[in-house]
Amino acid sequence: MATSDIEELGRLIAALPPAPEGWVRAAQELPRLRRGLDDLIGRAQSDAELRARLVADLESTLSEAGIEPTRQILADARARLRSSS
Amino acid sequence: MGDEPTDAALVARCRAGDDAAWAALVDRFARYVYAICTQGFRLPQHDAEDVFQDVFAKAYEQLSKLRDDAAVRPWLAQLTRRQCIDRFRETRRETPAEELEPDGVDDVLDQLDEALAVRQGLARIGEPCGEMLDRFFARDQSYRTIGEELDLPAGTIASRISRCLEKLRAAMEDSGALVGPEVG
Repeated sequence: MATSDIEELGRLIAALPPAPEGWVRAAQELPRLRRGLDDLIGRAQSDAELRARLVADLESTLSEAGIEPTRQILADARARLRSSS
Repeated sequence: MGDEPTDAALVARCRAGDDAAWAALVDRFARYVYAICTQGFRLPQHDAEDVFQDVFAKAYEQLSKLRDDAAVRPWLAQLTRRQCIDRFRETRRETPAEELEPDGVDDVLDQLDEALAVRQGLARIGEPCGEMLDRFFARDQSYRTIGEELDLPAGTIASRISRCLEKLRAAMEDSGALVGPEVG
């Protein structure tokens, strides 16, 4: 067995260190967050008070609904609120 | 082969709304996307985080547009590449588009493709070898830490790593993923 093959394998394993755990978890949570956001924005269309709260303080209202207000989710929520107004 | 689903099978399950499959898909490609951002495009950590999240958000939204489920890896690579260039474009407006990619990015991406094939090999050789090699090479853990974490005598870790590398090499050869230079 060539030593160089073994060294190369070690080098290639090292080439893919883990991504930060929090980043991975946030990406894995996407489907749940998107469904939560769909539900919230859907309800806000027929609930003026909820809509007003979302417009006034988006981050807190999302958090209260169990949706972590990441940059992506906030941008998505703002776009959907705009398009539904 | 191990019990790992193929890329195509995972994508099909994601498209059917299977959250566990999505989590597995993210887990499978997180290191790859991260490495393209930080090694290929040398993004600082805060930019890399934004790109990383944008890539998976776009992948989630656009998965239905993927024509070949088995081609998810190159598709994600392309998505990541575009997002990295967009990030550069935001901060370097005066730079011509063709100069936004760092020198050697294609070579780095080729290496990362190889590295991903090796990770699939790690999954095939099973535990504790896969985890031991990952901890030593990718997580840069000491023999002592690996020994403590895996409940193994620290003095045996070096020889175990060596045996695991041999096992990995054999698995890669069996799968045709490792081709000796004399074969080319």
